[in-house]
Amino acid sequence: MKFGKRGTALLGIATAVLLVSSGCSGGLLGGGNDSSGSSDTGPIKLGMVAPTSGSSAPTGVYMKNGAQLAVDEINKAGGILDGRKLELIVADGACDAQQAVAAANKLVSSGVAVSVGGYCSGATLPTLPIFAKADVPMIIPAANSQDLVKQGLKNVFLINGTGMQQSTAALEFIKKQGYATVALVDDNTSYSKDITTETQKQIEADGAAKVVLNTSVTAGESDYSAVVRDIMSKNPALVYWTAYYQEGGLVINQLKQAGYSGAIMVADGSVDPSLPKIAGAASEGVFATMTQTPETLEGADAAKWIASYKTAFGADPGPYSTQSYDAVRVAAEAIKKAGNTKGADIIKALEGIDGFKMFSGPLKFTPEHTLSSGGFVILEIKDGKFVLKDSLS
Amino acid sequence: MTQVIWDGLFVGSFYALIALGYSMVYGIIKLLNFAHGDIYMLGAFIGFAALTSVGGIPASLSLVALLIVMLLSMLLTGVAGVVIERLAYRPLRSAPRLAVLITAVGASFSLEYGISAIAGPNPRSFPVRLEGGVFDFIGARISLPQIILMVIAALLMFWLNTYVQRTSTGRAMRSIALDMKGSLLMGVNVDAVITRTFFIGSALAGAAGVMAGAYYGKIDFLMGFIIGLKAFTAAVIGGIGNIKGAMLGGLVLGLVEAIGSDLFGGQWRDVFAFGVLILFLTLRPTGILGERVTERV
Repeated sequence: MKFGKRGTALLGIATAVLLVSSGCSGGLLGGGNDSSGSSDTGPIKLGMVAPTSGSSAPTGVYMKNGAQLAVDEINKAGGILDGRKLELIVADGACDAQQAVAAANKLVSSGVAVSVGGYCSGATLPTLPIFAKADVPMIIPAANSQDLVKQGLKNVFLINGTGMQQSTAALEFIKKQGYATVALVDDNTSYSKDITTETQKQIEADGAAKVVLNTSVTAGESDYSAVVRDIMSKNPALVYWTAYYQEGGLVINQLKQAGYSGAIMVADGSVDPSLPKIAGAASEGVFATMTQTPETLEGADAAKWIASYKTAFGADPGPYSTQSYDAVRVAAEAIKKAGNTKGADIIKALEGIDGFKMFSGPLKFTPEHTLSSGGFVILEIKDGKFVLKDSLS
Repeated sequence: MTQVIWDGLFVGSFYALIALGYSMVYGIIKLLNFAHGDIYMLGAFIGFAALTSVGGIPASLSLVALLIVMLLSMLLTGVAGVVIERLAYRPLRSAPRLAVLITAVGASFSLEYGISAIAGPNPRSFPVRLEGGVFDFIGARISLPQIILMVIAALLMFWLNTYVQRTSTGRAMRSIALDMKGSLLMGVNVDAVITRTFFIGSALAGAAGVMAGAYYGKIDFLMGFIIGLKAFTAAVIGGIGNIKGAMLGGLVLGLVEAIGSDLFGGQWRDVFAFGVLILFLTLRPTGILGERVTERV
C-alpha cells in the first residue's frame, strides 16, 4: 500500500531499473507458464510475497513465521497427496509495487502451486495478473482492499475481512457509541483510502452520524500539524484513522497535544504493539477495528497455538501470523480436495470449501471470493495494550 | 491564523537546520549530498542508543540529558559525515557530477539499510520525551518543548553564521565556494576545509535528528528521506549555497506548507511544498538570496 518513496524521487534510476526488470520478467513469465504447479512429484511449493525489507518488514516476519508453522505441522503429519511435502518460498515484496512484481515473477518461475502471500494492497494489486496468467491461485492473508477483487480474477481469494466489512464494523460501533460527527483520515494508499471512502459512503447512507472531514496525510513524515489543525477546527466526536501505525502513533499524540478531547479509532493497519509506544499516554482509550489477533484470541486452542509458535521461532506471534497460518492450511485443504496441483482444480476446490475452521471463524467464500463474514471486532488500548472491547455480535 | 504561522515556523526551523548542511556542501563542492537526510536519521538513532544505554532518566533531568546526548550525537554524526566524504565523495571529486550524485544516492541507501540491519526495521519510540506546559499566545497553542527546540535551533544557526563570517576557516570556506583552484593556489588547505564543512553540516543534521526524536517520539530508518527532500527544497528556495538563504528558505517553506494546507486542507501540504520548488526553479533558480552566477566559458 505504500508507494516506493525512493522510486518517485529518483525517477531516472527507477525507470532504468524498471526497464531492466520488465525485460527480465517477460522471460521469467514465459518460463513460469510451463512449469508452474504441474509437476507431479517432489514437494508442493507455496509462494509468499511479503515485505521482509522496508518499513513494513516487521509484519513480513510475522507472516512468514505463521505460514512456516503451518507448513511444518502439515509436513510432520505426513504431507498431502500421498505424502508429498509442502515447501514455503518467501520473496520480498518490500511493500513496493515494483519489487512485489519482481518477487511474484520469481515465485511463478520457481513453480509455486499456490500463492499464500500479500500484505500491502498497493503492492499486491500489480501481482494479481502475474499469478493469474500462470494459473496460480492466490490465497491472500492480509491485503484486503476492495480493489483486489474488483477485477473479478478467478484466482484471487481474500481470507482477511475487506475494507467494506471493516467499514460496516466501524459504522456499527459509531452507532452503538452515538458519535454524531466523524472525521476520516487516511494516507492516500489503496488500503487506507478504501476504508475511508467506504466508511463515508456507509455513514451517509445510514444517516445516524455525519462525516465532517475526510482528509489525507503523507506517510513518512513526522509533523502532522496541518491535519491536526483541520480536525481541531471541525471538532468531531470521533476521528477514524485508517492508515498505518507509524504515522498513526504520531497523529494520535499530536492530536492530544493540541487538546483534542473526543474519541479516536484506528483501522487494522494501525493495530500493532508499537502504536501505543509511539503515541505514549495519548493512546489510552483509543479504539480499533480489527480481526482477531493472537493477543485477543481466547481459549485453550489459541494458547496452545501461541506456545508452539513461540517454541518454533523464539518470539511472540504478531499481526497476520494467524491469517498466514490459515492461508497455508486453506491451500493444503484445497489441494487435498482437488487431488492435484492444477490451478483450475484448486480454484474449484477453494470455491467449494464450506465451514473449514480458521481463527476468524468457519470459512466460506462469497461469489466475489471474499469472506462471507469479516470477523471484525472492536479493540481498545488499555495500559498500552490492545484488548477486546466489543465483539460486535 | 497565529496557530498556522506558529506551526509553520516550528517545522520550518527543522527544515532550516537540515537545509544548512545541504547548502554548505553544495556551495563549496557543488554536490547535492542526498545522504544528508539520512545523517539526520543517524543522529536520531545515536541519540536513541545513548539514552537507552544510560537507562532510566528522571524527568527533571531529561532536558540536561538531552542536551548532552545531542552534543554526543552531533560529534558522531559529524564524524560520520566526514567518513562518507572521505570514502565516497573525495575519490570522485574530479569525476563528472552525475557520478557523484549517484554515489550520494548510494551513500543514502547504505545508511538507511545499514541502520535497518543493525537496529531493525521496526520504528522505535524515543526513551526521553520533552514534556512541558502549553500556553496560549494570541490565539496559538504553544508548548514549552517547541520553544526550547526553536531556541536551540536558533542558537546553532547563529553560531554557524558567526563561524562562517568571522573565523579564518569560515573565510576559507567562502573562498573555496568562489573558486576552488584559486584558493588552492593561495595556500588554502582545501581538503581540510571540505572535511570541516561536512563535519559541521552533518553535526547540525544530527542535532535536528535528536530534537525530532525527543519531540515527536518516533524514529525509524526511513525518517530522513522526506525531510531530506524538504530541506533540499528549502535550500533551493533560499538560494542554494547561501547560508542565510538556507535558514530563510526553511522558515519560508514551513510557512508556505502551513498556510497552503490551512487554505486547501492538509492533504495539499506537500503539493504546496514541491509546487513552490518548481516555481522557484522556473522563475528564480537562484532562490531568494542567491546571486546570479555568470557562466564562465
